[in-house]
Amino acid sequence: MSSQVVVTGMGVTTAFGRGAGALLDGLAAGQSAFGQTARFDTRRCRVGVAAELPGDPKLPLELGAVVEQACAGAGLDATDRAGVNLFLALHADAGAGRDPAAGDILGGTPGEISAATGLPHPARIYTTACVAASTAIIDAATLLRSGRATRVVVAAGYLVDADSFWLFDAGRTLAADGQVRPFSAGRQGLLLGDGLAAVVLEDSEAARARGAAPLARLAGWGRAGDAYHVCQPVPDGGGLARAIERALARGGIGACDVDYLNANATGTTFADSSEAAAIRQALGEHAGLVPVSSTKSLHGHALEASALVEFVVTVLALHSGLLPVNAGFLGPDPACALDLVLDEARSRKARYALSLNAAFGGANTALLLEAA
Amino acid sequence: MSWPVGLVELATARWDGSEPPPVAGFVTSAFSPLAAAVAEACLTSYFGPAPAESTRGERTGIVLVSTTGDLATNVAVASAVQAGKRVPPLLFYQSNHNAVAGYIAARWGLAGPVVCTMPGGDAEAEQVTTLLIEDGDADAALVIAVNTYLDGAKEGTASLIGPATWTPRQEERQQQP
Repeated sequence: MSSQVVVTGMGVTTAFGRGAGALLDGLAAGQSAFGQTARFDTRRCRVGVAAELPGDPKLPLELGAVVEQACAGAGLDATDRAGVNLFLALHADAGAGRDPAAGDILGGTPGEISAATGLPHPARIYTTACVAASTAIIDAATLLRSGRATRVVVAAGYLVDADSFWLFDAGRTLAADGQVRPFSAGRQGLLLGDGLAAVVLEDSEAARARGAAPLARLAGWGRAGDAYHVCQPVPDGGGLARAIERALARGGIGACDVDYLNANATGTTFADSSEAAAIRQALGEHAGLVPVSSTKSLHGHALEASALVEFVVTVLALHSGLLPVNAGFLGPDPACALDLVLDEARSRKARYALSLNAAFGGANTALLLEAA
Repeated sequence: MSWPVGLVELATARWDGSEPPPVAGFVTSAFSPLAAAVAEACLTSYFGPAPAESTRGERTGIVLVSTTGDLATNVAVASAVQAGKRVPPLLFYQSNHNAVAGYIAARWGLAGPVVCTMPGGDAEAEQVTTLLIEDGDADAALVIAVNTYLDGAKEGTASLIGPATWTPRQEERQQQP
């Protein structure tokens, strides 16, 4: 395989702050960013907690900023930018339901991103729920490997809003104790969090030709469906296990080579146990030897943007040699027996890392990253 | 639509203008019932009654494209929040396009990847489907295009795109002694 897919730039914003440095500091400290939401009224909700940036951030501006971070980091000049493909992963705009006559469920965000960054209008918007961004990454990788493109910017953003917050509250999926506890006994559910990220994915030869240094290599990827339920994962994790197996096969490595796994785990009872079953099924006897954490316990669940935020988290883990903690842990759940990173971030030089995501409709993805 | 060499349209169905049958758990909006209805017609014409034959179903993904999105559900949620009323819990999952894809996948045993994108249109559907199959995690895809407008207008089609070597299952069944 001569041509590979590499990451040459990335930008990120979470409740920890703007930029990869702020996120890395938050991950290293291991203290979650959750607090009482000040953005809207939650008095009628069961839960009032989320991980939010201060103030009143605007999605187009924030997303434009992370795209700019990624492009600048990759060293893309105006000419380079004109030739990229832009794939976005977005949640429906909260304003669309209040101004339906405008007829734009995305609220004009794609056009504003394009105008703010000098990138072409997005090729498409991925709306595949919590695997929207990882699906965009996989499509970008497939496009790059086909030779039909040399560079794709993938960007995704979600800011906690009243409509989705009230929806998740109505679905009784939010953690009533105000903490996300992935894979833990006593876990009560998820909490939402602001998350915006962008990455520049590039053909390795094209990157080398212009002197761009890779941050990481996208070594493999896989996706599969559960064919099981409208919104619940199959209990044995079969679909996610197949996605992991395909990612490892594409990467040409075995389960024993995986040094870290950033899990999807949302802190939801049935979903976390399904994911643990998938990891055990796919990694076999090595499942108990791979350090696992879900950083949703720190920065919250960014819905359509979650997979891209966690992709950046995984690149940072490979770079820093610091595997982020699986926060909120109260005690072991026999259904989730894994080597969880507990108490504090773990130092470990890692070469290969998996980032898993799963969504409503039984959609599953696995991304395999290799340190540059 | 035009497809890369080796891929063909194995079956297709277009919304016939009648009210799509209700789907349990989906309320308020016609978006998901319409997607389910065109999927049902398309898959039935190829596979016969649900579920799909397992070896092919396991290798079939779902692509759902839309220009409008499910604006009616979006409006229903916004209205409840603005009025300070409890949001109907069923809207929690139906607000996401993946939900109806999951309904179709479970009913028909389609265990390939699920991809939902905007905007809709033939070119969009072609590109996303081609990438999905080219990537190799699916051999075929049920491609659904649905638009529902606030004035009640609707559009819906579903096509099963797969290898030219996949002969129609209905014909094979009829030829069996």
